[in-house]
Amino acid sequence: MNINLNRSQFQAHPYHLVDPSPWPISMSFALLIMAISAVMYMQGFPFGGYLLNLGTILVATGMSLWFRDVVVESTYLGHHTEQVKRGITLGIALFIVSELMAFVSIFWAYFHSSLTPAIEIGGTWPPLGINTLDPLAIPLLNTILLLSSGAFITFAHHALIKGNRRSAILGSILTIIFAVLFTALQYYEYAEAGFTIADSIFGTVFYCSTGLHGFHVIVGTLFIGVQFYRLLQHHITKSHHIGMEGAIAYWHFVDVVWLFLYAFVYLWASSGLL
Amino acid sequence: MSDTAEAQSNYLLQTAGFDARFPNTNQTKRCFQNYVDYNRCINAKGEDFAPCKQFLKAYHSLCPNAWIEKFDEQKENGTFPASFEP
Repeated sequence: MNINLNRSQFQAHPYHLVDPSPWPISMSFALLIMAISAVMYMQGFPFGGYLLNLGTILVATGMSLWFRDVVVESTYLGHHTEQVKRGITLGIALFIVSELMAFVSIFWAYFHSSLTPAIEIGGTWPPLGINTLDPLAIPLLNTILLLSSGAFITFAHHALIKGNRRSAILGSILTIIFAVLFTALQYYEYAEAGFTIADSIFGTVFYCSTGLHGFHVIVGTLFIGVQFYRLLQHHITKSHHIGMEGAIAYWHFVDVVWLFLYAFVYLWASSGLL
Repeated sequence: MSDTAEAQSNYLLQTAGFDARFPNTNQTKRCFQNYVDYNRCINAKGEDFAPCKQFLKAYHSLCPNAWIEKFDEQKENGTFPASFEP
């Protein structure tokens, strides 16, 4: 007599119909607060800064609690069938495409400003008086760090698929270390650069593009960090780890965006090379 | 236009002509370039060098007067966004 319960005995489909949850509505309010308070802060309205902090905390908390529930539903309750995995994988891919479009808009602004430089900045790019960063110094090192971290996380992934736990852990640790080094070096560059975000359109597009990228590096590092923690906690198997694969895809996306940034914002626009 | 003797003036009326470097309707860059080139010309050859006047006439024809005033003000303050080094 078969006493094992099989999904097909109580569900005539492979999908996961989720239980009611407070996180979607909570997140929508949190995001609304964050968006409005960001505008308030930037336009100098009273309490804008405090509300922005509140909004950010609410969004981060909402995300944590929602993702925590997803981990419970998958790892502990077993609701992630192959079909569910496919759906989530597609969802992550489409999310990355939407992030790509955000970068497209920033790059559009960059090329609009740099290919036909306005007469107000002297008709040249970079504008007269802007001391650009040496692209062969820290930016080159950062390129190497990101490319290497991409290699490390791929190594970790392959090790994971083969069931090699030690190498998967080692690869993940190295990825995170290099990611943190990149962030630290970018912070140093920001502190020591000879121009600010307020220094003409150049400053604006430079810090908006590299800043948006840096934010994605931090998010990507956290994403990998969470998956690394789950790896340590034995949540992950060698054939079921879509969260890890999502983190890896996101990380490669971040790496590719950096390559475009390095080529067009650092190399092409440096005073020495143009 | 009356044909009296006083109306016969000594002015030569001509436009700035066509410059193939700036083929489009928006002539902003051309105005700017001529202002820059005039100043580079007088820096290199002196204010009395006659061929520099070509640039002067071009930018006075092409640029809005408000822009010329702004450029001159920036030049005096040392904040003009281009270099006048020839």
